[in-house]
Amino acid sequence: MLKTAMCCSALAIVWAGAVQAEPLQVALVETLSGPQASTGLLYRTAVQYEIDRINAAGGFRGEPVKLVEYDSQGGPVGAADRVKAAIADGARVILQGSSSSVAGQISEDVRKFNLRNKGKEVLYLNLGGEALELTGDKCNFYTIRTSPNAAIRFQTLTRGMKEMGLMGDKVYSINQNYSWGVDVQSIIEANAPKVGYKVVGETLHEVNKIQDFSPYVAQIQQSGADTVLTGNWSNDLLLLMKAASDARLKVRFGTAFLDQPGNIGNAGPVAEGNVMSAPFNPELNDKTRAFAEDYKAKTGHYPAYVEPYGVFGMELFAAALKTLDGQPGPVSADQLVLAIEKTGIETPVGPLRVRAADHQAEMSMVLQEVSKDALYKVDGTDYGFRPLKVYSGADSADPVQTTCQMKRPG
Amino acid sequence: MEQIVFALLNGVIYGLLLFMVSAGLTLIFGMMGVLNFSHASFYMVGAYLAYTLQPLTGFWAAIVLAPLLVAGLGICVERFVLRRVHAFGHAHELLVTFGLSVVIAEVIKMFYGNFPVDYAVPSGLNFSAFALGGMEYPFYRLFMGGVALVMFAALYLMLTRTRVGIVVRAAIYRPRMVEALGHNVPLVFMSIFGIGAFLAGLAGAIAGAFYTTNPNMALELGVVVFVVVVVGGLGSMEGAMLASIVIGVMNSLAVGVNVSLADVLGRVGLGDWARDTGGVLSLQLSSLAATLPFFLMLLVLLVRPSGLLGEKE
Repeated sequence: MLKTAMCCSALAIVWAGAVQAEPLQVALVETLSGPQASTGLLYRTAVQYEIDRINAAGGFRGEPVKLVEYDSQGGPVGAADRVKAAIADGARVILQGSSSSVAGQISEDVRKFNLRNKGKEVLYLNLGGEALELTGDKCNFYTIRTSPNAAIRFQTLTRGMKEMGLMGDKVYSINQNYSWGVDVQSIIEANAPKVGYKVVGETLHEVNKIQDFSPYVAQIQQSGADTVLTGNWSNDLLLLMKAASDARLKVRFGTAFLDQPGNIGNAGPVAEGNVMSAPFNPELNDKTRAFAEDYKAKTGHYPAYVEPYGVFGMELFAAALKTLDGQPGPVSADQLVLAIEKTGIETPVGPLRVRAADHQAEMSMVLQEVSKDALYKVDGTDYGFRPLKVYSGADSADPVQTTCQMKRPG
Repeated sequence: MEQIVFALLNGVIYGLLLFMVSAGLTLIFGMMGVLNFSHASFYMVGAYLAYTLQPLTGFWAAIVLAPLLVAGLGICVERFVLRRVHAFGHAHELLVTFGLSVVIAEVIKMFYGNFPVDYAVPSGLNFSAFALGGMEYPFYRLFMGGVALVMFAALYLMLTRTRVGIVVRAAIYRPRMVEALGHNVPLVFMSIFGIGAFLAGLAGAIAGAFYTTNPNMALELGVVVFVVVVVGGLGSMEGAMLASIVIGVMNSLAVGVNVSLADVLGRVGLGDWARDTGGVLSLQLSSLAATLPFFLMLLVLLVRPSGLLGEKE
């Protein structure tokens, strides 16, 4: 009896699949469990938020867009495996953002898959891997980065700090020893003469392995720096700031990822006056406030860290889908890429568009500092991020890297 | 000069923290032959419990109560989990404790979320102990070091100078004989496990406030702690102390050394070649600081597999 029932339901599923038009399948490949899951889970929240909006507005070609999640469990190896599974399951779009090393892997995998499977290409939307090579050396027609990159972050950060009088003369650069951190260090070096500061010391250290940053702080102290620029994220940023404050080191930190949840709560007064360059700040204008409130209503918290640009990247994708809506049949990755290149959107912060030449997004960047005067407090503290200056997309953009030789189809 | 003093002090105190956690691990291994993978999880639980208790009881009571609760947890783990698995051999014990560490990490995430909680040094303790050459040294670091030293002295005296210590040491070598003499060996083992967990919990409660209390702290420290225990010699308390200090100081000094293999090769005229080749040759020692303990472990395992102060097998 049971067997018959199962048989029937299986048949029913097959049959249902046969008559319905195939919905567009989008795969989120992120670290959703284990020690590195915190960032991956934020991307999931952001992506889910936007997919829900797409589907509430009628989906794509009469079908809801189907979001499937794959847990890559940390490194590039797991991600490569999950990407294969996602493609085999019928995903046409891969979403990922939490790590440059994983982004590099997925970009390569997608490039190779597309070479070997003409007519079945997939698109990789990089929501947050910010290493430069992804739109340089490794740039690829089917990979689109909707987040800022190391150059955009640190050009706006250094210029902005100088213009606001927050940049000292002596800068110490401390970064994580992998593609992202190395990029940041070279940009800090390259900008020194342009912006007008001197790099008095540099450190590259292992990623999220160091418990005790006091030896590094002693190095900073010794160099006589008054400003520390760092692309560090997560524990590497938090522990560095705490160690600096314990040694009563009087420096200002210029950062990229200070707004990761828990950072300000943990660092407390230590964080005050430190600066960050990021593509969003909730108190900028009415539209950013409305977005922050709507996001909170749907997800339970204000958008922070990777969430805002995760949502904006997906909004761009949604806008591109809309231009392709209304035609019958499945959509190809080529059509998607061309549509995204042509489509620009207006985010609450400003316009967001993707350059055709290297598929790097151009967006407004907000220079902001940790302050008690901020409208939106974070982590249950008195502190929040107060916007200091906004750079428009054109203003913050870096030139297309000469190493990018993109092969376009046809 | 001041830089060296600070580097040494930083290294020694970080080493003492490593010792607090590795002491329990090496104690448990020495006594029971169990390599406890979940040991660093006790460290994490200690930090989270102290964070939870702090608003209710104040900081001092929290850093006493939290380790006691962790000791209770450790005793339960020994009594209800490990003892059942013991009969199946070491591999099973290893797997059980490994599984336990995963479970603990996930439970912590369920209750406290994915991000660091704001457990911080109370403002009354947050002052600098002394200043040297324009650098101030935080009092809390000295406090952490002091606690570790007191702990080491207490443990050492207990094991070498008391009757309990004699029974414990005898139970390691000849459990059946000790049992025949009328001592309750399972109880001894359970207490040892409890003490080991207590030490880890204490380290967590104290260090969690200084560093960060986050769901990955067990993983971050756990690996180094294993290295300490292996380098010091499995089961050797003095070895763990020595290895902790060596690794702490090595870490701290290496950060300040900006030398690469290319610079060394430069002495024999191969510098330019090495710099052009790049890769490992141009990597600076300072960026390898956190990896050095693993090199040390490799070296010790090659030259002296039983560890610096471990007994010959």
